Amino acid sequence: MTSTDIAAEIHEYIVATFLDGEDCADLTHDYDLIANGVIDSLGLVRMVSHIGRLYELPVDELDFGPADFRSIAAITAFIGANSRALAA
Amino acid sequence: MPSPQLVDAVLAHGENRPERVALVSHRRTVTYRELADTVRTFRHRLGRLGPVAGNTVCVPAHKSPETLALMLAAFREGLVVLAPSPDLGGAARDRLCRQARASHLLVVTDNGVISAEPVAQDAADASRFGTPDPGITRLLLTTSGSTGTPKIVPIPLDGFAAFADWAARDFGLTADDTSLSYAPLNFDLALLDVWTFLREGARVVLVDQDRAADGAHLRHLVAAHTVTFVQGVPLLHRLLTGDGTAFPTVRQVVTTGEALGPDLLRPLAAAFPGARFHNVFGCTETNDSFIHPFSPATCEGRLPIGRPVEGVRAELLTPEGKRLSGPGMGELLVTTPFQTSGYLESSLNAKAFTEIEGHPYYRTGDLVTRGTDGLLYLEGRADWQVKIRGVRTNLLEVETVIASHPDVTEAVVVALPDEQAGVRLHAQVVRRPTSSLTGLGLRAHAGRHLPRHAIPSSVRVTEAPLPRTSTGKPDRGLIKADRLKESA
Repeated sequence: MTSTDIAAEIHEYIVATFLDGEDCADLTHDYDLIANGVIDSLGLVRMVSHIGRLYELPVDELDFGPADFRSIAAITAFIGANSRALAA
Repeated sequence: MPSPQLVDAVLAHGENRPERVALVSHRRTVTYRELADTVRTFRHRLGRLGPVAGNTVCVPAHKSPETLALMLAAFREGLVVLAPSPDLGGAARDRLCRQARASHLLVVTDNGVISAEPVAQDAADASRFGTPDPGITRLLLTTSGSTGTPKIVPIPLDGFAAFADWAARDFGLTADDTSLSYAPLNFDLALLDVWTFLREGARVVLVDQDRAADGAHLRHLVAAHTVTFVQGVPLLHRLLTGDGTAFPTVRQVVTTGEALGPDLLRPLAAAFPGARFHNVFGCTETNDSFIHPFSPATCEGRLPIGRPVEGVRAELLTPEGKRLSGPGMGELLVTTPFQTSGYLESSLNAKAFTEIEGHPYYRTGDLVTRGTDGLLYLEGRADWQVKIRGVRTNLLEVETVIASHPDVTEAVVVALPDEQAGVRLHAQVVRRPTSSLTGLGLRAHAGRHLPRHAIPSSVRVTEAPLPRTSTGKPDRGLIKADRLKESA
C-alpha cells in the first residue's frame, strides 16, 4: 500500500464519517481538520480507532497528539511511520 | 382594533371623507363610506347571531376588508375579539377558543355573509386562564407558536390608543398616507400598518398572504398605489429591492422582526430615495419598544435596535440579576405605555413580568448589549444559548459569523440533539450564485472567528433560498426537522 493509497482511504473515511452529504471537492491533503472543526475530540477517538484497526497500529504504545491528525497528509505520515502492516 | 374609539374614528371618516379609499385588497377597493356602511350592517347582524356584549368571539384573522369590518363591528358591540392566525389548525384554534372562553367562532365570507358557530366550553381547558375584560381589552393576539403553544396576549385599550398616538406623531402620519400591510393581520405589526392607519383616515394596501413571496407583485402594489409607508421583515425589503426599481413615493421605511443583512443597506437606499429609515424592535407583549433611525446610504455593519421609544424604559439584567447602569450585556427588560396587562394564562405572568421601582417590566429573554453611546444592540435570545459538550454557545453568534462570509447571502444555524455532545450545530447556508463556496471553506472561515466547539458539525450549502415561515422568517423548525430526518 502506497502513501497515495492511504491518503485516498483516509480522505474517503473522513468524507463518509464526518462530512456526510457535503461537497468535498476542496478537501485537500493539507486542509486543517482540527482547527476547522471537522474532527473534534470525539472524532479524534474514532479516527484513532479506525486507523489502529485498519493499519494495525499499536495505538496503546504510541505517543501522539492532535497535531498528528491535523490534516490528511499528517495522518498519512503518522500511519506510514507506525504501521506494522506496512512494515511487514 | 382594540377600541370602540377606533371604530368611532372610522365611522367619522365615513361621514367626513366618504369617497377616500380606506382599503385596497386583491379583489377590490373599499372607500371609508363603504367600510362604515359595512361596519354598521355587521353590527346589526352580530346582534342577531348570538354573541352579547362582554363575550369573547374568535375571528380568524383573514386579511380581507370583510374581516376587518367584522372586527370593527365586534369592538363596537362590546365584544372581545380573539384573532388567531387563519392558518392555525382546527384543533389548536379550538383549544385557544376554549382557553379564552370564546362564545362563538365568527367567519365572514368575501360576500359579507357572517357565520357564527357556538364554541363548546371546557372548564378544564380554561381553568388556568383569566376571563378577558372588555373594559380593558377588545383584542386578543397570540404570540407565534415557534417557541411552543401560542400564548394569548390581551392588547389593552389605552395601550393601543397611546401606541397609535406615538406612531402617528413619530412617523408624521396623515390621512394622505398609504401603508403596505405586509404582515399577517394577527401580528402586532398590524396595530401600526392597518389599525393606526384606519384611525388616521389613511389608506391601507392589504397584501394577500398567498402572494407575499411574489416580489414583482409587491413592487407593483407599492408603485401602483403610491404607497408612502412600508413596514416589514428583511424578506419584504429583499423582495422590494430585488430588481432595482425605485419607489420615490415612499417616505417612511420600517425594518423590523429580525436583523437586517448589511447587504440590503445600499439596495434600500436606492429603492427608496425619498424615505426616512427606522429599525424598530418590539414584541407582541410590549409592542414597538425601541427605534433606531438610520441612513442606509452611508451606514455600515450591523444596525442597533437603538433607543427606547418615548415613554419606554429599559433595563439590562446580568445573569446574577443585577441591573447594568452603563455599557455591557444583559437580558433586556422593558416597560412600555403600550404593553399588555399580562398573558391571559395568569400563571405565566410571575415569570414573564417583574416589577422594578413600581413599573411592570416584561422579561424579553433577549440578550442585548448597551454601547458607550447608549445604543442597544441585539445579541440573540437568552434561550438561544445551547451547551455543546458543556460549553455555552450562542446560535445567533455562530449564525452571524457564518453569514459574514462574503460569499454567503443568508445562513441559519440550528442545534440538533446529539447523544455524545448534548447538541451539535448544523448550518444551512445560501451562497451567492456565482460562488463555489463549500462547507469546508465555510468551516475554515468559522474556524478563524469562532471557538472550535462552535464550528458547525454539518454544513449544507445551497443556492436555493431558505425555507420560510408565513411571516417570512427562516423556518428553523423545518430546517431542523429536515436535517434530523436525513441523518436518522
